[in-house]
Amino acid sequence: MLNRLLRKTHRKKVKNEQSSNEKNTLKESDIDANLENTINLFKSLYSYSDNQDVILRTIHIPGINKNAAIFFINTITNPMSIEDYIVSPLLQNNDATKQVEDIITVQSMKTNTRISDIVTHINNGNTALFVDGEKHAYLIGSSNFEGRAVEKTQNENVVKGPKEAFNEKAATNISLIRKKIKSESLVVESLIISKRSRNDLYIVYEKDLVDDKLLQNVKNRVNSLDVDAVQNLSLLEQHIEERKYSIFPTVLYTERPDRAASFIEDGYIVLLMDNSPDSLVLPATFWSFFHTSEEHYLRFPYGNFTRLLRIMALFITLFTSSVYVAVVTYHSEMVPPDLLLAIAATREKVPFPAAVEVFLMEFAFELIREAGLRVPSPIGPTIGIVGALILGQAAVQANIVSPIVVIIVALGGLSSFAIGDISMNFTVRIGRLLLLFAASFMGLFGLTALFTMGIFYMVSIKSFGVPYLSPLTPFYASSGDKIFRKVLQKEILRPGYVKPKDIKKR
Amino acid sequence: MEQSKQLIGIKEYVAIALLMIGTKLTDDTPSIIFENVKNAGWMTPIINGLIAIIPIYFLMKVVTNYKSKNLAEVTDHLFGKFFSFLILLLLLAVGLSAVIIDTAIYTDIIGTMYFSKTPTIIIYGILMFVCAYGASRGFEQIGSVAWIVFPYLQGSLLLALILTIGQGNTAFLFPLFGPGTWEVVKESSLKLSIYADFLYLFLFYPYIKNSKVFKKGTWLSFILIVINMSISMACYVFLFDYQSIMQLNYPYHEVIRTITFGFMINMEALFLPFWLIASFVRFSIYLYVIAILFGHLFKIKHFEYLIPSLATSIVFLGMIPESPTFAIFNLRENLILIVSPLFFFLPCLMWLVAKLKGEYKNANKKKVG
Amino acid sequence: MPIRKKLGRIIFSLLALLWLSGCWDQKEVEEQAYVIGIGIDKAEDQENRVKITYLISNPEAGATAQGGGSGEQPREIISFVADEFISSTNLANSVIAKQITYDLLRMIAVSEEFARDEQFIRWIYDATKAMEIKRDIKFLVTKEDTATFFQTNNPILETRPHEYFEKILNTGFNNGTIPKSELNQFFRITEADADLFLGIYSSSEKERRQQSGEDPHQITAGEFQFEGETNTTQFIGSAVFKEGQMIDSLTIEETRLAILLNPTLKPGFFLGTLPDPFDETYRIVIRVENNGPLKVDMKLKSGTPNIDVIVPLTIEVLSNHSMTDYPKDAEKRNKLKKSIQESLTKKIEDLIRKTQEEYKTEPFGWSLIARKKFSTLSEWENFDWMKTYPDMNTNVSVQIKLGKFGRQSDLPRIEEIRD
Repeated sequence: MLNRLLRKTHRKKVKNEQSSNEKNTLKESDIDANLENTINLFKSLYSYSDNQDVILRTIHIPGINKNAAIFFINTITNPMSIEDYIVSPLLQNNDATKQVEDIITVQSMKTNTRISDIVTHINNGNTALFVDGEKHAYLIGSSNFEGRAVEKTQNENVVKGPKEAFNEKAATNISLIRKKIKSESLVVESLIISKRSRNDLYIVYEKDLVDDKLLQNVKNRVNSLDVDAVQNLSLLEQHIEERKYSIFPTVLYTERPDRAASFIEDGYIVLLMDNSPDSLVLPATFWSFFHTSEEHYLRFPYGNFTRLLRIMALFITLFTSSVYVAVVTYHSEMVPPDLLLAIAATREKVPFPAAVEVFLMEFAFELIREAGLRVPSPIGPTIGIVGALILGQAAVQANIVSPIVVIIVALGGLSSFAIGDISMNFTVRIGRLLLLFAASFMGLFGLTALFTMGIFYMVSIKSFGVPYLSPLTPFYASSGDKIFRKVLQKEILRPGYVKPKDIKKR
Repeated sequence: MEQSKQLIGIKEYVAIALLMIGTKLTDDTPSIIFENVKNAGWMTPIINGLIAIIPIYFLMKVVTNYKSKNLAEVTDHLFGKFFSFLILLLLLAVGLSAVIIDTAIYTDIIGTMYFSKTPTIIIYGILMFVCAYGASRGFEQIGSVAWIVFPYLQGSLLLALILTIGQGNTAFLFPLFGPGTWEVVKESSLKLSIYADFLYLFLFYPYIKNSKVFKKGTWLSFILIVINMSISMACYVFLFDYQSIMQLNYPYHEVIRTITFGFMINMEALFLPFWLIASFVRFSIYLYVIAILFGHLFKIKHFEYLIPSLATSIVFLGMIPESPTFAIFNLRENLILIVSPLFFFLPCLMWLVAKLKGEYKNANKKKVG
Repeated sequence: MPIRKKLGRIIFSLLALLWLSGCWDQKEVEEQAYVIGIGIDKAEDQENRVKITYLISNPEAGATAQGGGSGEQPREIISFVADEFISSTNLANSVIAKQITYDLLRMIAVSEEFARDEQFIRWIYDATKAMEIKRDIKFLVTKEDTATFFQTNNPILETRPHEYFEKILNTGFNNGTIPKSELNQFFRITEADADLFLGIYSSSEKERRQQSGEDPHQITAGEFQFEGETNTTQFIGSAVFKEGQMIDSLTIEETRLAILLNPTLKPGFFLGTLPDPFDETYRIVIRVENNGPLKVDMKLKSGTPNIDVIVPLTIEVLSNHSMTDYPKDAEKRNKLKKSIQESLTKKIEDLIRKTQEEYKTEPFGWSLIARKKFSTLSEWENFDWMKTYPDMNTNVSVQIKLGKFGRQSDLPRIEEIRD
């Protein structure tokens, strides 16, 4: 353990030394009071003549009679605000007594001396104002990144409940969450997590709920990242999860601000980033992948009916094809005679063993699914029709597969869509194939053996210290939102496994 | 693997105890009992249960007297190094042979009832592979799995029993006392060791949340096991009558092959997976027990690493007897007879020694102090 | 990490190897020939061998699904002499292409000749050895050779054999014309060595003999006369087994009464006929249903053992050819009740007498009730039910509750119509 840590820090050093040593030392220094020097420095930092969208404008402020320079990147700034609130007030100033702070009429302004900080601000779309003879720069908020507006959810659709989804702007996303939690204890911390691209990460939590240890754990893990760039949360998820080879996801990924907000209200931690139309929720349990937000929006019986359907769909997806293969090839005496004879009759002319037949069909189904996802949208419906109708029908007529197998595979495939979470969806689909292998090898014995191992594996997974199947086992005080939910009025406890500072919801 | 050790709660503990001991009613234990007490076999678990209260009570007294010491450490403390080594070695030998015999039987059940052409080594290998994997996950994981699957296993057993009662005939229980009252009591007490596994449960004491949970859990699971055992044995008689049942090797499996439910003529596909899961979890627990004992005896701290090699050796030892159905049946019968007195007298002896050493007074003093 | 990786690879390749080489018990459904029924006959002039008949179902027959469906025969029948019916599958496979399996075995048929043989019990116990044979399969006795029985049996509507047998045996039991005869019951009763076992009695040949007497319910298999374009097989009455050997056969009526008197069976309702108390030329049709549980009271310990049986029945009178006015006339109803009671009691007493005198034990499962009177097995075995039963005093009383008189209870007066 210690060894590995040492090696890690060592590696970090070597890397740092190799990469632009000079620039770094330069960045760590403060700016010069001489405007000319500063301008030259920034010109070289930003390769001014090559970089098309970097704008440098020198002006003379009449009132106080000083030269100044405005430095910004125009593709990520709002030109109107620069024009109206910075340039024109400066140029039109005639009052000699006024300070620069007072001349500029923009909302947010800071001063900073360190070059590295100034650069960060410019990169974030802010404008830097250098005034001759002053040893600091004015950093004026003017950022304006292009992005989508708030749109409807794409993946986690609901019929009843809010429809808005996160978009690629972290500021919008934070605003969407703040809209739901109007509390001063909601904290949005920001961290820079990558070396070169300097991506921001926002850690959102309620400070009087979240477990400090958990928060520290998350921060540590995020801070220990040693990468040049982490573009978005989907990539970050893979950096911070514990078991990278596991087929089970341990970080929840949701595009619904209402869902993220309700997790925050339970003492979870939510991560946001620019460029990610979604959020990461930590820690995640199996149940958080199994649930959707709609089940709480629907009335108690309807919500639980959906849950019942989903748990059945989960088991159908996992087991139909494997049980079919197991029973038909190993335990045919267990099938009711009528059904067995029907199966035997349809399989009479099929040239493959049952296991191969099911594999073929499963493979075809996954292909259709993947192709349907990648195909350009105008051709999409055609692929669906060709895949589902023609392929299935023709395969049966050509006696390549038996009609029962088509039913089995289609049922399993259809049910897999009921698991909404994309990661869990993959887990289930891969799990189904593994179980199918096990079943075709040793029938129900192999199937059960693999399933038992799967459960053993599942209970040993932990997401940020939280057991994967809690609160089912190990037991924690909670509202008992597992397979079924309780009446809203009885859900009075926050989940105990995230160890919230205040476990009672009222 | 270096995860922080969490202590397990009452649900997990009861599930472990029930799976560890209650699963016996699905193997050949019932037929060993039926052999001598015939249709009064359902009384044996109750009579034995009444007798077994004594050793469990004494053991509970002794072990709960020490905080966070398991059975092995308590024995060390009470008997001194040498004698405790002998006793624990005996326990290990009994436990190991029980595991070997039991796994061989379960392999035989799977082999004869469901996979007649598959080589034994494959079935045995898979069985022990899964169990070793499960056991090496750690004790709390075993507990969690036990609790997850337990309700479904109990449910499937219940369904099987209800269907059995529906299709059986309660008159088969009569004459009530089978071979005679005295005979029943005598033969039953000889087979006291069906509950001997409770001894091993005391090895888990430090893993349980607190002594109250342990006490409550042990007694609760004890009662549940007695009820489960005697009801299912009664149900076996309902369905087969005593003459037939004495000839069956594995009554539970004959039951699930015989019962029908509506259009489902063959139900074993429904019950087999549940039974398999129960057996996997059961032997995971046993492997863990053996590993604890082994680790304690030979001073191996990370005993979890022993589990794979233990599992491998169990497979090869279990493969030795030929025609397992009979050979193992006899072995097991003998084992049961041998272990019974051990199970009864060891706890009493421990209690006596503790009493003579004045351990209880010390404990009281400590509390006062 | 590298060790783990290597280990993973080894395990993976082992698993792959297993998967490729494994599948020992794998058998594809379409590669098997499903035996629905086994017939066992005496082999001619060979003492220690038997003649086995297989009724094999063809899954393709009658299938409308794509991929199946053809004009093939619904069944295949093969008879041959073998040592027993466990290894005989191998012999049969020299003729039949697909692997023969007992997975769908629903019944074992035995010819009457073989069932009456002393050696029969030795062969039938083979069924407990074979793994695939379930204990709940049907057990039936055929009047002729089972080979002939299976071959002559040619149901027209239910072409799939398992469907045909399942349906006809089920209806038969519901109507009380045949007993519920399962193999495990046969073994249990034989092992308990106290009661008689009733097996299904069947025949595929109509007997030339004229229908005996006035009551159509006094017949056994082969004696039902019918005409038309249908199957010739009939399942009527029961074969009586004592100590694993067939000793006699019961008629429909006796079978019904035996079911009625058996406290462990839960029969539905029977239809039956009795002479009309008001006009001897006609018979009334009655629908008999158990009205509450059978009460069997035994005094076994002191003196001559005594059995009191109370049979509570609900009777519905469904036909009224004498056109008597029951609904309005309480006295006539009473007379009817009494007459039914008398004739039923007489029938039951006759049957009990027959079991006591001829069979020396009963098929009613009464020994199970008697067992409750003993506290240990040795006492019960010393009592020896089979020895003591013939000398017991039995009192039967039938308690009748008249139910409805058909859908329309009233009938026009015959005198008025013929006026």
